[in-house]
Amino acid sequence: MDGFTLVLWGARLLFLLLLYVFLARVIRALLRDLRAAAREPVDRPGRLVVLESPGGEPAVGRSFGLDVITPLGRDVNNAIVIDDPFASAEHAVLTYRGRSWYLEDLESTNGSYINGQPIDGVAALGYGDELQIGQVRFRLERTRA
Amino acid sequence: MLGPTGASPPLGPTTIHVALLLSVAFAVLAGAAGYWGVVRAPELARSPDDAAVIAASRTVPRGQILDRDGTVLASNEADENGELYRVYLSPTISQVIGYASRIYGRAGLERTFDAELTGLAGDPLTDAFAKFGAQRYDPKDLTLSLSHDLQQAAVSALGKRRGAVVMLDPRTGEVLALASTPTYNASRLANPATAAATFEALRDSPAQPLLPRATLGRYVPGSVFKIVTAIAGLGSGAITAETTYTEQPRAERTGLLVEGFRVRDGHHPETGSTALDLIGATEVSCNIWYSLTGLETGGAALVDYAGRMGFGAPLPFDLPTAISQVTNGSGTDPGGFVDDVELANASFGQAETFVTPLQMALVAATVANDGELMRPWLVTALSGAGGKRTIGPESMGRMLSATDARAINEAMVQAVEGPLGRRFTSGAKVSGVTTAGKSGTAELGGSGEPHSWFIGFAPADDPQVVIAVLVEQAGRGGEVAAPIAGRLMTRWLKGGE
Amino acid sequence: MTAQAGRAGTSPAPRSLPRVLGPIRPRARWQELRLLLLVALTLAIGSVSLGTALTGEVGLHDPWGLGIYLAALLGAHGAQVLAGRRTDQILLPAVAMLGGLSLLLMERLPQDLVIQRFFGTSFGLAEVQLIWLVGAITVAATLGIIVRSDSWLRRYKYTWAAVGVGLLLLTFVLGTEINGQRLTLQIGPISGQPSELLKVILVVFLAGYLSENRALLVEQDTRVGPLRLPPLPYLAPMVAMWAIALGIVVVQRDLGAALLFFGVFLALLYAATGRISLVLIGLVLFLLGSAAMANLFEHIRTRIDIWIDPFSDPLGAGYQVIQALHAFARGGLLGMGLGGGLPEIGGRPPIPEIHTDFPLAALGEELGIVGVVAILGIYLVIVQRGLRIGVAAADDYRSLLAIGLALVIGIQAFIIAAGNLKVLPLTGVTLPFISYGGSSLLANAVVVGLLLALSDKGVEPPPLPRPGSRWRRLTRRAAA
Repeated sequence: MDGFTLVLWGARLLFLLLLYVFLARVIRALLRDLRAAAREPVDRPGRLVVLESPGGEPAVGRSFGLDVITPLGRDVNNAIVIDDPFASAEHAVLTYRGRSWYLEDLESTNGSYINGQPIDGVAALGYGDELQIGQVRFRLERTRA
Repeated sequence: MLGPTGASPPLGPTTIHVALLLSVAFAVLAGAAGYWGVVRAPELARSPDDAAVIAASRTVPRGQILDRDGTVLASNEADENGELYRVYLSPTISQVIGYASRIYGRAGLERTFDAELTGLAGDPLTDAFAKFGAQRYDPKDLTLSLSHDLQQAAVSALGKRRGAVVMLDPRTGEVLALASTPTYNASRLANPATAAATFEALRDSPAQPLLPRATLGRYVPGSVFKIVTAIAGLGSGAITAETTYTEQPRAERTGLLVEGFRVRDGHHPETGSTALDLIGATEVSCNIWYSLTGLETGGAALVDYAGRMGFGAPLPFDLPTAISQVTNGSGTDPGGFVDDVELANASFGQAETFVTPLQMALVAATVANDGELMRPWLVTALSGAGGKRTIGPESMGRMLSATDARAINEAMVQAVEGPLGRRFTSGAKVSGVTTAGKSGTAELGGSGEPHSWFIGFAPADDPQVVIAVLVEQAGRGGEVAAPIAGRLMTRWLKGGE
Repeated sequence: MTAQAGRAGTSPAPRSLPRVLGPIRPRARWQELRLLLLVALTLAIGSVSLGTALTGEVGLHDPWGLGIYLAALLGAHGAQVLAGRRTDQILLPAVAMLGGLSLLLMERLPQDLVIQRFFGTSFGLAEVQLIWLVGAITVAATLGIIVRSDSWLRRYKYTWAAVGVGLLLLTFVLGTEINGQRLTLQIGPISGQPSELLKVILVVFLAGYLSENRALLVEQDTRVGPLRLPPLPYLAPMVAMWAIALGIVVVQRDLGAALLFFGVFLALLYAATGRISLVLIGLVLFLLGSAAMANLFEHIRTRIDIWIDPFSDPLGAGYQVIQALHAFARGGLLGMGLGGGLPEIGGRPPIPEIHTDFPLAALGEELGIVGVVAILGIYLVIVQRGLRIGVAAADDYRSLLAIGLALVIGIQAFIIAAGNLKVLPLTGVTLPFISYGGSSLLANAVVVGLLLALSDKGVEPPPLPRPGSRWRRLTRRAAA
């Protein structure tokens, strides 16, 4: 068999092989993504852990289970009451819409922050992100670690 | 609306159902691709309708076709545009080789082996890899078991009459001659310049020259079918070679009464009041004895034994064949017979019995080869750039025991060489060689002349050639077909006339 | 955001600039880059295979065409990196692979199948397809970068529906008839097949309709004998869809589009409601309608007869279908190799309309069953990706939109592949991303672009549910 035929054969078989290599890699990526998704709990999706609270209410280390809609603020009607002079009465609301988290600032005086960045109206956040209301800092975590 | 805790159920499960359904649908597609690309591929890729086959036929020289002595039967010539067309050695082989015409497609071996002759398909194993080769076409030359000499002799023996001759080697199944008359000039069909006029003339001719009578003609067999009845009777154990029937001699005069119908015999007063056995009945071609044997054997066994030899289905052959039948199967009696009258008549080849000459050659070959039937075949080798592939003989199975076969063999010898038999088969004997055979005179009803049949083989103690001769509406088997058979067998066994 | 502003009771504070124009924060997309490099390598090898087979000398076939295509892919990738969105990284490479196969295929078919003149220069089949491919990639990437809000689709669903019906009517009135099908609309120099765009509009409408009425379709019942149906008024859209599908058959003589639309509708209906009964009713309706159509229209009956037994007329009516099957048969398991197939016979392609209706058969001949299965696999990957984006989307509307878009690709690919393989009667829909044709490529690019945009959850939250009883009940419960 001469070199030309060898190249022809090689290119043809290699092309088919590469199609499958591509398919295999893509499917691997899909499966990895699906496995990651399967690990995400479906109900009671998350909790807020208090990292820093100068006023002691809420207490540092306390963990709040989160509902679909969780209002935060100084007012006692909020699900998470933040007794902090820099927090507004109805400061922000944390919502779980569909399958992801959003923090919505309710026109508070001092604003809300995600990872140190002030948010503009509504912003998405993920697990592990830190949010700050007044001087109180929380971290959003999965329900089951 | 608020996801998992909202009013509606989550979308996940139903979406998974949809995804599964779609996956199944795609799996069906993959299955279909496999079906067309692998399972049906051999058949489709060699079909003459295939675009690649059509395209290749214009430019790639087709393989040659050679006879058993290396004589070139089919080759190529180029027209003024450089496009190739087929040229054939002689009209005598047209019914076997057929033609490859750019306009009228293919017929005969040119059709069956189109892909091989074109070079698109060889043997399936190397095919998968050959597709990757740079050289796409590897036209194969076909070598046939056919002898052009013998074929020519057969055609000239038939002369102007319509008929067919099949000759084969019973030990291997190799077909030596497969003649049908009238013949036609396939070269004129393949040549684009003359194709149209030739084709129209051939198509409109009442003699049906395009019909390969040896393989696609169906004829009433008459007495040659008695060999099938003998095979079924002995094979199933219903009779022995010594079986006689006491009612038979009397029935010679009055006819045999079957369910109110009288089966009458041909004229053979010499046997007088003797109750005949297999040999005697075969020698004088006694219809009564064979009717009784058929009834004794039963329709189911008769059809079953015939079926083993190829009746009831196209033959496993290199050319398309018509289906031979013992009965048309419209009845409810065992085997599909309407009643015992039909069975009794079928036992000596009248009734609804139709056969091809090739099928009758196989019946004779079964007896000749001591009960084992070899598959008939024409193409013995395919050779191309990629090497030569030979095709070997193949058994269709044992039809009956060697002892039973020899008994029938003996009876057929008596039919040719016996003092009484000789009269019915004059001229069938190959001089100096024990010859076996059976003539047939197939009554067609009405006033037309009967078909003249002969099947036989020689030498009877070591059969090397089997023959079946049919001449349409030519008269008694012993007068027309038998001498042709004798001449052709002599030619094959001794060479020359 | 509107809900939030209303609730606050004060006038909204001045917003900052739209984020599109905000500071650019590039985000690397390694997975996409790796996959794209694999695509580039595969296509380069394919090009060598094609070039070697066609010219008899070892070398790339049309390096410029391949270069332009790969450059477009790289550009799309770069733009997405710069935009910094967290969008899907698998869709683009998968689509790019299919587009690349399309390019290789078009390069080996007779180039004079299509001659188009742009700016005084005439382009052949592969060149025109390359232009459309680059356009499609641009459209997909652009949509994936700039679409951050779905309100323009969500809010105006009835407007979109009207646009769709309008397009249909326009095709009926002004459309040009080709081969007994009224599919092409020509306005001035621009011609296109509206049904390609129509399928996107259909999904936009259905997603809006179903997401709003899901609860009602799922929960309430009307009993008709043993059947449990949703409230009858909610069946109206179903009947309307049925009428539209049959209308397409009547007006456009387009069996494929009708099958596609109705298939997507039923699948989406099931995904949204989980009610098998609805799907069964729909199927029965469709079968009844098809039977009636087959009785009324000669061309549909012919199609079905050909499907049942193409071999009865191998050189006439069944020719196209049979030659496709022959192409698969010639390909066998491993194929004849790129460029090894039968490009033409007597100056014409072996299968009529090979570049639009039978690209799968052509690829089957050259790449074999092994290649076809890989291609089918890539389609499934795209569909799976789309469905996954749908399931993970932030709310029902986005979910159903993504699921619907994914299904459009999947079902369309199935219909035409099945037609090529004699699993279904042959219909004239295109094989997404592979068939020749601008309308098809651009419409499917819009689908991919929207899927890309939908895969980024982190940009704009879906609107809060309308202030109403449920919202108040939920807030109260949360507050308690």
